[in-house]
Amino acid sequence: MKGNMTLGFIGNPNCGKTTLFNAFTGANLKVANWPGVTVEKVEGAMRYHDQTINLVDLPGTYSLTSYTMEEQVSRQYILSDDVDVIVDVVDASALERNLYLTLQLLELGKPVVMALNMMDIVEKRGMEIDTHRLPEMLGIPVIAVSARKRRGLDILIHAAAHHKGVEEPDKLLHNHPETTGHRHNHHEEYAMVYSDLIEDKIDSIIDVLKREYPEIKNYRWHAIKLLEQDKEITERYPVNLPEVIDRSYEMDIINEKYDFIEEIIEEVLVNKEKREAFTDGIDQVLTNRFLGLPCFLAIMALVFLLTFTVGDALGGYVERGVEAVSGILAGGLSVMGAGDMLTSLIIDGIVAGVGGILTFLPNIFVLFLALAFLEDSGYMSRVAYVMDGIMSHIGVSGRAFIPMLLGFGCTVPAIMASRALEERRDRMRIMLVTPFMSCSARLPIYVLFSQLFFGERAMLAAYSMYVIGLFVAIAVAFIVHKLDKKEGGYQRMLLIELPEYKFPSARTVLIYVWEKVKDFLTKAGTTIFVASIILWLLLNFGTEGYTGDMANSFGASLSRWLVPVFVPIGLGYWQIVVALIAGLSAKEVVVSSSAILFGIANINSAAGMEQMGAVLGDMGFGALNAFCMMLFCLLYTPCAATIMTIRRESGSWKWTGVCAVFQLGVAWVAAFLAYQIGGLFL
Amino acid sequence: MTLNCAEIGAVYKIEQMELPQKTERRLEALGMTHGTRIQVINTKDRGTMIIKVRGTRFAIGRDISENIQVSEVNA
Repeated sequence: MKGNMTLGFIGNPNCGKTTLFNAFTGANLKVANWPGVTVEKVEGAMRYHDQTINLVDLPGTYSLTSYTMEEQVSRQYILSDDVDVIVDVVDASALERNLYLTLQLLELGKPVVMALNMMDIVEKRGMEIDTHRLPEMLGIPVIAVSARKRRGLDILIHAAAHHKGVEEPDKLLHNHPETTGHRHNHHEEYAMVYSDLIEDKIDSIIDVLKREYPEIKNYRWHAIKLLEQDKEITERYPVNLPEVIDRSYEMDIINEKYDFIEEIIEEVLVNKEKREAFTDGIDQVLTNRFLGLPCFLAIMALVFLLTFTVGDALGGYVERGVEAVSGILAGGLSVMGAGDMLTSLIIDGIVAGVGGILTFLPNIFVLFLALAFLEDSGYMSRVAYVMDGIMSHIGVSGRAFIPMLLGFGCTVPAIMASRALEERRDRMRIMLVTPFMSCSARLPIYVLFSQLFFGERAMLAAYSMYVIGLFVAIAVAFIVHKLDKKEGGYQRMLLIELPEYKFPSARTVLIYVWEKVKDFLTKAGTTIFVASIILWLLLNFGTEGYTGDMANSFGASLSRWLVPVFVPIGLGYWQIVVALIAGLSAKEVVVSSSAILFGIANINSAAGMEQMGAVLGDMGFGALNAFCMMLFCLLYTPCAATIMTIRRESGSWKWTGVCAVFQLGVAWVAAFLAYQIGGLFL
Repeated sequence: MTLNCAEIGAVYKIEQMELPQKTERRLEALGMTHGTRIQVINTKDRGTMIIKVRGTRFAIGRDISENIQVSEVNA
């Protein structure tokens, strides 16, 4: 028991595997992709006594066949020598289904330890699981854990550490009749014993395998896979036994596994009738034929209401902080005798740009908190069901709505979430329209311009952006769907598990939110920091060197050249054009650059806004222009990070280019219509 | 009858599935094979429905539900 050890965490989707994993590793995760495929690989490490334990979180999967990329990756990794012990995370509240994967893992012949998770939910429902009988029937250690309440964690690691290298099952106690017609009695050796017909075939195949492929470690598993006519194994270890493998026995094997599972459930699960009343009750309303959609819209409206009200209330504190820092810095710089230029760079460039963005941190924090809550409570997958009808009109399943919904948070993870869609065609479509879902980076733009020009109706104006974005996304997908002639024979299949509702784990939610807040702060410290400096340079230097008047700067001259294009959409001001171009680095930069452009230290404060409103008012920039500004920012080409994500996920520069240009075009047309039609009435 | 015509609350038994192989395999991995019992929890128009199979709820689309032959089981 010396040195390092690697534990592979595997389990069904929604079994609480990630929560358990986080309970061990905290937020110290290394997230990467498995080599060659776009399946996420999450690694962490922890200390246990004198050894380092590496933990690898495998993709959630229901089985170990080789039909999907996730299953292939998990299977290959588990079979490799890298994994010392498999930790099978099982949702105790859905034991029946989770045991199917367990039975497959047992057949791999590697050390397996079961982490029986969500026992608290089982108890709450008045059910009980016989945790003594379960290991007797399976032949592996079973440890009850609660990932949310952090119970049983040490025992699990202890059991795993002691189970390293144990390949024989623990003592199996079963109720099967001792005498079978089969020439071997496997009940002492394996938990999962098939019917005599299958066992005979397995034995015959093993005999051939032993002769032809002596290097194979686990003959039984390979024999079973050959009997299932598994593509990968059949190609790698072909055997010539046409009379034994006369057809695929996969269906028989699945059925016999489930028969055994029923036997286990019969013996270990007590009081199973009381289960699921709670979730059924909530689903009566939330997935009701008529109420489902209104409920979803109400929940989203609440999320945004909280984002604006609570976020703004907290934003005041950050504002005061930024003001204080700005004051101290200005004082310090003048004491140190810093020149005008350096003072201007720090105060007007960096503090105005980066500080201006930081005041929106509370809004973003609240938005991500709400999204994490929806995801961890189990509601997110219901949205796929509720939206399936609408999504079917645009040729994709309701499942495709989940990435779009995540787009309200940040477009980058939303586009990565489109991986879950099976058809490449669906993924490409979702990548095209997800940037129209208004991400949190665009929120500062709405907050600023709506409060400047819409007074009491500010929240309505900001909220309308979310609705318009959603509408444009669906409309574009609909048109693409109608134009695509190659649809014949294609079926969109909705198939998604609806987990039990649960109260979200504070730890999971906080880790999720912290990751997002960290991203935001990193962005403020890097992209926005650099963009602010570059912008300051462009705006303070002209053909005659350092200039006090921005109107004579390089930035101004460059932008003036583009202004004619922006006049028909109500944005024909060189300052606005500079802000929009700068916004391609990150959407928040539109606001931070406005702060620099209009020379306002604290753009989200009442005084700062009044100042900017006055400047804009003098320029003839009114409410309609502000609306067009918001609309254009909502729809135009997304930030550089999103563009790079589309490139990576689609694998095509061409498609990435099409997306970027198309979004720019849509934004221009939408703002043009709004400005021209709006102009007739105002 | 096919599953998309099922009624809320009733329990059915799978008789036959006529789905693309890939989809059928996925359903099998989830425990939906011939003879498996399905309880219908909720339905929407067009055959999108929520079903309970072996203790777990799934949302399935019409393309799946209309290709599964079932018979009603008297509870």
